[in-house]
Parts: sequence; structure tokens; C-alpha cells
Amino acid sequence: MESTQTSTLEATVRSAQQGAESAQRELIVAYQRRVAGFVYAVTGRSDCVEDLCQLVFIKMVRALPGLQSPAQFEAWLFRMARNVCIDHLRRERLRRIFVPFAAEHSEVAEPVGAVDSEELDALRHALSRLRPAERALLALAQEGRSQVEMAEITGTSVVVVKARLYRARERLREFYQPKNTHES
Amino acid sequence: MNDDSHAWRQLEQRAADQLKADFAGRVLRVSRGPSEAAWRELNEVASDQLRLGFADRVLRAVKERLERPSWTGQLAIGCATVALCFAAVVYFHDRATRLQDETNMAAWEPLASESQYFGLRQ
Repeated sequence: MESTQTSTLEATVRSAQQGAESAQRELIVAYQRRVAGFVYAVTGRSDCVEDLCQLVFIKMVRALPGLQSPAQFEAWLFRMARNVCIDHLRRERLRRIFVPFAAEHSEVAEPVGAVDSEELDALRHALSRLRPAERALLALAQEGRSQVEMAEITGTSVVVVKARLYRARERLREFYQPKNTHES
Repeated sequence: MNDDSHAWRQLEQRAADQLKADFAGRVLRVSRGPSEAAWRELNEVASDQLRLGFADRVLRAVKERLERPSWTGQLAIGCATVALCFAAVVYFHDRATRLQDETNMAAWEPLASESQYFGLRQ
């Protein structure tokens, strides 16, 4: 069953590589939710999710012909998403140096309705206390990426990934406090 | 003894009243970390941010970017324009200088022959 899905995905990727718009659309629709979740987990902002997702998929379509192994598509896509998010956060940090907003300007609360449950709020709070690289690692693990893939995506070794992932999970658990316990 | 236990019970009750509703659930959640449901909800909130027709917008943006000249292309055109302008300036400057030299030489020739003539006569 899984191998059928994999071969279907590979066929779609190959078709998209040859420029078939329907295949490209199919890939975008298939992965937009997962990429959006990943982007949200790494950036912690829901207002930039669509823009960053758009950037990820534009890069995907343009770089698809250069993808050597269609079997590696998912890992390749999430590496792209990670890089887009990290670049975005780096640009934001630079922008804050040149345009020094006050904390209340740069940390505007999420729009009403974006955060609806206590657990989600706690998860967002815990994620916000971690470094972007840790958030990306946790989001990749949540996405079901293997440690080998994570090592490839982050450009490190499996041993380093294991250690960092363990530390990130510990820190997430440490900061994971449902509402009314983390808000004093 | 009865007074003592009553006092203890009151103390316990008072302390227990300080605990918020669903205390056990909270403690378990903290010790286990975020649940799969929380991650799923995070994904749902994120995907809700994508407006309808997201894929079409992406494909349209890709096409627009392909039609638009690339940054390197624009840089190459800019460099070629600068090189062409520079070559034109050098060419016209050289031509103008040569023409001026020829005019000057043409004006000098009668003067030189006259001065030579007067020099021989003296």
C-alpha cells in the first residue's frame, strides 16, 4: 500500500519535473497543509504562513527540474521550507536592528480565532521559547522525517541530530505549560 | 484528636481549593509534553491561513516570475548598456579630437610656410 503511494508520488514528481502543470498543482495541494503547519511551527506567526508557503512552493516548482531523485522529494521540500523559514527569521532579526520596534510592536498578539484551545496555546508558547533551529527539528520530527533525513536537511550528522532532538524535546516539555500556569 | 483531624481536613480542603479545575489533566499534559492532537491543531490553524485557490496563485506567481526578466538578465543588459555608452563616448571623443587636430594642422600649414619663407629671407 505504502509502496504504491510512493510510486504514485514519484510518478507525479517526474511529471511535474517535465513541466506538467496538473502534476505541479497536485503536489502543491498534497503538501500545502503540511508545509503550512511546518512554517507555523517554526515561525510561530500565522500571519506570514501564506506568504512563506507561497515562497516555498514557488521555489519548489522552479527547482524541481534539478531534483536528482524523486524518491527524496519530501525531504527536499522540507529542507526548502526550513531554509525559507530560517531566512525569514534572520531577515526579521536584521529588520529589528535597523527599525527598532518596541516589544509591543514586534510581538503583536495573534488575531482572535487563530488560537482556540488551551493545548495549542501551550504548544505555541513552548515553541516560542525555543530557538528556530530547535523548532525546525521538532517540526521535522513531527512531520515523520527520519533522523537520517533530518541530518541531511540540517547539514549535520545523525549523532548531532539525535542529541539536538533530545534536548529540544526536553526543553519543549519544560516550557509546555497549559494556560493559567504559564501566564502569571 | 477529632479537632485535630477536622483542622487537617480543613487545611487540605483549603489547599485543594487553590488547585485549578482539571489539575490532574494539566499535570499529565505537562509531564507528557504536547499531544499529537495539539500538533494536529497547530497544523489545522496553519492550513486555515491558506486562502482558497492557493495552488493556482502559486502557479500564476511562478509564471509571472518566469516572464519577468531575471535579476542576472537585467544586470547583463545594464552592463551591456554601460559598455556600449562607454565605447560610443570613446569613439566620438577620438573622432572629435582627430578632426580638431586636422583643422589645427590645416591652419598651421600656411603659418609654418610663411614663417619659413620669412626666415629664409632674413
